[in-house]
Amino acid sequence: MPFTATPLIGGDAFEMAQRLALEADAELSALSEPGEHLAALRRQWDAIVELGWMATLVTEEAGGAGGDLADVAALACGAGRGGLALPLAMCGVVAPALLAAAGARDTLAQLADGTARICVILPDAACDPGTPPLRCGTTLEGGVVAVETPPDPTHLLLATAEGDVLLLPATAPGITRTLSLRIDGRLAADWHFAGVEPHLLARGLAPQIERARDLGALITCVEGVSAMGAIIEQTIAFLADRVQFNAPLASYQALRHRVAEMYVEYENLRGLVAHALRGAASADALPWRDIALAKLRLGEAGRLVAHETIQMHGGMGLTEGVAAIRLARRVMMAEFEFGDRSFQAGRLLARAA
Amino acid sequence: MAVDYEAFQRDVTEFAQTRCPPEIRAVVASYRKLSRKVWQPWQQILHAHGWGAPSWPKAFGGTGWDHQQRHIFDEVMAECDCPPQYHHGLRHIGPVIIEFGTAEQQARFLPGILSGDDWWCQGYSEPGAGSDLAALRTAARREGDSYVVDGQKTWTSHAHESDWMYTLVRTSREAKKQQGITLLLIPLNAPGITIRPIRTIDGWHHVNEVFLDNVRVPVANRIGEEGQGWTYGKFLLERERLGGANVAPALKNLSRTRDLIAQELAGEAHRAKREALELRLLLAEAELHGALALGKEAVAAVMEGRPLGLLPSVMKLSTSVSHQHVAEVAMDAVGARLAPRFRRIDGSGPNAEAPGLEWVQNYMYMRVRTIYGGSSEVQKNVIAKQLFGS
Repeated sequence: MPFTATPLIGGDAFEMAQRLALEADAELSALSEPGEHLAALRRQWDAIVELGWMATLVTEEAGGAGGDLADVAALACGAGRGGLALPLAMCGVVAPALLAAAGARDTLAQLADGTARICVILPDAACDPGTPPLRCGTTLEGGVVAVETPPDPTHLLLATAEGDVLLLPATAPGITRTLSLRIDGRLAADWHFAGVEPHLLARGLAPQIERARDLGALITCVEGVSAMGAIIEQTIAFLADRVQFNAPLASYQALRHRVAEMYVEYENLRGLVAHALRGAASADALPWRDIALAKLRLGEAGRLVAHETIQMHGGMGLTEGVAAIRLARRVMMAEFEFGDRSFQAGRLLARAA
Repeated sequence: MAVDYEAFQRDVTEFAQTRCPPEIRAVVASYRKLSRKVWQPWQQILHAHGWGAPSWPKAFGGTGWDHQQRHIFDEVMAECDCPPQYHHGLRHIGPVIIEFGTAEQQARFLPGILSGDDWWCQGYSEPGAGSDLAALRTAARREGDSYVVDGQKTWTSHAHESDWMYTLVRTSREAKKQQGITLLLIPLNAPGITIRPIRTIDGWHHVNEVFLDNVRVPVANRIGEEGQGWTYGKFLLERERLGGANVAPALKNLSRTRDLIAQELAGEAHRAKREALELRLLLAEAELHGALALGKEAVAAVMEGRPLGLLPSVMKLSTSVSHQHVAEVAMDAVGARLAPRFRRIDGSGPNAEAPGLEWVQNYMYMRVRTIYGGSSEVQKNVIAKQLFGS
């Protein structure tokens, strides 16, 4: 029996999320027009909202399901295997964490029932060189780019480095938006602000903002591990199938050893993420250090697995038509979510001293 | 009765901190290669306390601890700079004698291992049999109540300070090379044995060549059946599969290396280099924490009687490389000023070695991590076979 990855958290939610993600990936991979892609993402988004994914972490009093991190992680495990192109960590975890910290109960209810599609802008959001960064005074000025977003966002939830949390209608006067598709097929928006009235939800939430980001990083790691497990399975299947020089590629030791190396990286990361996940579920304070180490490792291990699967697929590794390769791009993109390696290394080193 | 692991950990910690002599801990903390001179007194202290053999059953003088307790013991020892126990007697041949030895053999050999009076080494590898151990050619022929052994062993760690060598020898030629191998216990003072040091790249003397020229070994020193030695050797390796679960020594080395960088590269002038090395160390630390988590999974699996699957191979591959990365970072911190002073020509006594030279030696010694105990290439074969299903 060839290798089958064991999910970090299995069960019905995992199975359902995996099925949905695989179907969604099949639908998207058949589309070449960005407009069609966007429309499909909106349908897929509506489907997961309908299934209650966005309500998972919202308390029952606020109209949610009152679930815990393990419930979202189960969804992320399933979603990760299909490379679901929707902002699960950002909207399903970071947004409710920020809204709950800011006491925005009504918006939480809207997030849960799908009437609010919230684009979250975290501190250190990217900004193009030479353009004015986002400034938050009596009005909002400047801009941020490449922010992950759900389709047709209705709200912007903006967290600043000073610990302010703002909530704006996405269509407020003075806001302009440019959409793009990321390398993993997800949606990103550049936002530009000119004389936009700020709506402050709460101040002094710097620790809660950091916590929300770390929760996002943890769920991204869960998705990443899942994707890497699926990549290894699919790489093995390809090597077993593909014949060159009169023998299956799976018979060549050079390739078998590289798959073993992928597996070691995957297992090492899986252990670390499982440990961080257990810590996050049981400890009062979020184990930020474990999460930072895991995110750092995701950068290293994820790149190796992504690069190796591309290499071992040969020419096919350069095409978008292979599921493992689409997953590889998902893993590559994950590096830049919720703090890349430099970010995580910086904070780990600063606090180790 | 359920074990209170927290109380156990406190006991072990207190013991380690109060009973391990400072001079022994200083040797461990300085990162030098350990020898019988350091290990033996420590084994005597442990034995006097009743902790001589953490992995043995009580009936044979062991502690009877479960896997979780043994794991805690190993971790605490590393964290407190106590030497890891010398493994050849306690962890390798001891359990084989307990499992397959006669009552006479158990009475003859186990007490010396426990007390630290007898020192053991392993006669496995040969010039033509490394990773392919079953290719071994050292031969034993039966003459009356004795075997007469002829051949050569190599890479024999600590043979020069050992009393005994448990040795795999060929007693017959069979179709399958794993058959016809026999396990003998050979006293190293027997006539016909010559031990020669091997000069290794680290500059430390720890491995040897052992030549056996018509060495007479009583048949009473054979463990188990003639020709079944491979089975006993595999039993030994199976028991060692949790060995890689103890990441504490690696994490300890990592924190020493972090201190080294802070000292060696203090100040603004060294800032760029210091930060570059700190980052590399951090990447190794992240990988070690992954291995640490897997180690806990492995101990839990053994406690619950679940199979370990590929975990031991994964841990071996992962930690061996992390050990090397950490040692490389230390080498890069001090190499420019210490690598050129590897062997002193002038000076003797306390000045015979440049202070800190052990970082250079250790960097080179660590290259062995990916070779011994099942090389990385062998481990990858094992993993691939399982992953591909053939």
